[in-house]
Amino acid sequence: MDMPARAAEESASRLDRMIPNESELTAGVRVEPGKSYGFFTDTTLCIGCKACEVACKEWNNLPADNIGLTGQSYDNTGALSANTWRHVNFIEKAGTCGLRENTQSPFQSGWLMMSDVCKHCHNAPCLEACPTGALFRTEFDTVVVQQDICNGCGYCVPACPFGVVDLSELDGKAHKCTLCYDRLKGGLEPACAKSCPTDSIQFGELEDLQGRAEKRVAQLHELGASNAYLYGAPGSPGATGDLGHLNAFFLLTDRPETYNLPAAPTRAANRVAPSLGTGLAAVAGLALAAFALLSGRD
Amino acid sequence: MSERLATELGPKQPPVPPPTASQASAPGRSRHWEGPTYYGRPQVKAAPFNNWVVGGYIFLGGLAGAAALLAAVADRARGPEAAPTVRRGRALSMLAPTLGAGLLIYDLHTPRRFYNMLRVAKPTSPMSIGTWILMSFSGFSILGAAAAAASRWLPRLSFLRRTAKAAQLPAAVTGAGMTTYTAALLSATSTPLWAAAPRSMAVRFGSSSLAAGAAALSMGDTGRVGRTLDKVALLALAADLAATCVSHNTYRRTGVAPALEGDWGKVEKLGVTGLGTLLPMGLYAASLARGRSPALSTLAGIATLAGSAMLRVSTMAAGDESANRPDVSFRFNQPQNLPKRPSRWFRR
Repeated sequence: MDMPARAAEESASRLDRMIPNESELTAGVRVEPGKSYGFFTDTTLCIGCKACEVACKEWNNLPADNIGLTGQSYDNTGALSANTWRHVNFIEKAGTCGLRENTQSPFQSGWLMMSDVCKHCHNAPCLEACPTGALFRTEFDTVVVQQDICNGCGYCVPACPFGVVDLSELDGKAHKCTLCYDRLKGGLEPACAKSCPTDSIQFGELEDLQGRAEKRVAQLHELGASNAYLYGAPGSPGATGDLGHLNAFFLLTDRPETYNLPAAPTRAANRVAPSLGTGLAAVAGLALAAFALLSGRD
Repeated sequence: MSERLATELGPKQPPVPPPTASQASAPGRSRHWEGPTYYGRPQVKAAPFNNWVVGGYIFLGGLAGAAALLAAVADRARGPEAAPTVRRGRALSMLAPTLGAGLLIYDLHTPRRFYNMLRVAKPTSPMSIGTWILMSFSGFSILGAAAAAASRWLPRLSFLRRTAKAAQLPAAVTGAGMTTYTAALLSATSTPLWAAAPRSMAVRFGSSSLAAGAAALSMGDTGRVGRTLDKVALLALAADLAATCVSHNTYRRTGVAPALEGDWGKVEKLGVTGLGTLLPMGLYAASLARGRSPALSTLAGIATLAGSAMLRVSTMAAGDESANRPDVSFRFNQPQNLPKRPSRWFRR
């Protein structure tokens, strides 16, 4: 069996039982079905340690994607994929064209780091596109792929406006962040948020997180970081085009494209009715014209 | 997980890194996009479809649907005179439940679970809508074809003829769906080229299907129905051409036009619009002007069918290119491209 040595050492828990509602101890929130949960990722606190990536891979048993260096700053992961459900972006702002800037703006200065993840959209395009019902909304208001139902049609992949969902070449199914559905069921905080050493990733009830995020933006503005804004909170960039709010939202300090995020994503399902309606009308018109031509005396 | 496998899992073609890391967010690296990109990496993921397989299905499904629709129209308009056309329409409509469905299942990444498509019916998912359109079209067209074949063996059983006739209308209605739903399927994604022009792309797919159906039905038909079907094909090609102009205008306005600068864009412009639309239009017009020349008409039919197939394959491939280019997707996902009014559909 290919088991890391450390995993063999720790084959059994040292606790005789689970801590009930452990998330109350680690995240200050009790996980209960019927409420909305999400992530608030504050990029001004991210130090780029990638503990979230590692914790996610360990808990979810995900294989490595890329062995090697990309040459793109400290980002050797590349992108979110079927096997990578947290991905830390690294953006080096200062020192373009060989010159080092001699002034630095507050917070993160020339370094931008951001832990990207599935956004668990309110009107999730992947879920709406799924023709098998494998993608579903859980009792925690998150979006999860049921692995025993997915038949690998791949339609959720282009449906996602953020390029999150991916098909695995190993098993031919779609995979993405589950917001640790299994951990939530057991009253645990998701692995990435629990492992984040600076609380850049915060897990909690959505309304609570949105309130915290508003306060953090106000605080940053007071401290002089006037470029701080929320991405994916109700009414902000990212929550456009009928997508609704994003359950995993972000505090950013540069334009969305810097972090590989679209400025104004849209809900794909809204294009179904105009497309089908116009197309069928044209076909009906041509069929009527064909009937007129065919019944003509000529 | 062995180490060898883990290495193979890496990106197939790692993106070309900029000369220095700090240039990652330096603006102006593309002449279409002034803003930053993330090391030139794609912002959305391209569809994992096999473009030849799925493009082939979209073509065959559209052809089958249009053939069933036009055969029913010809039968209503001409009666017994259209009998050969109706027979050919029934044969062509068999392309969808056989080869077409086979291609779709082949493209699944877990094909043995194809029946999971029948678990749900979802108005937000054109793939689910399409599954049920294909299922009902297959049912009606198989019923019609089987009843018609049986009635030739057993001419005394008149209910067989009546069954074949009764299956015509539902097959025609679902056939119209077969010609169009595939455009909605592509448009209801975040792939910029497909999402940019949902309406005109659906008109293109629908009219191209009808042109292909009319071309296939009229080929080798020397009668009056064949001549009229040539006119129908010409009309459908004209509608296709108009929708193509509208599409390209929309592509330019929304900023996705650069995705058509590549090889597949050239196929779309020269192959599909040039050789697959304008050329058969000219050939059909020339043929009809001479009181129908079978050679010209057949040549036009072949060009129409090839153009209709290449329209689907090139649209899919150019769509993939638009998804892989962050300059295109960032430019497309700007606030000015948001729909003017919020949709009334699918409230949650």
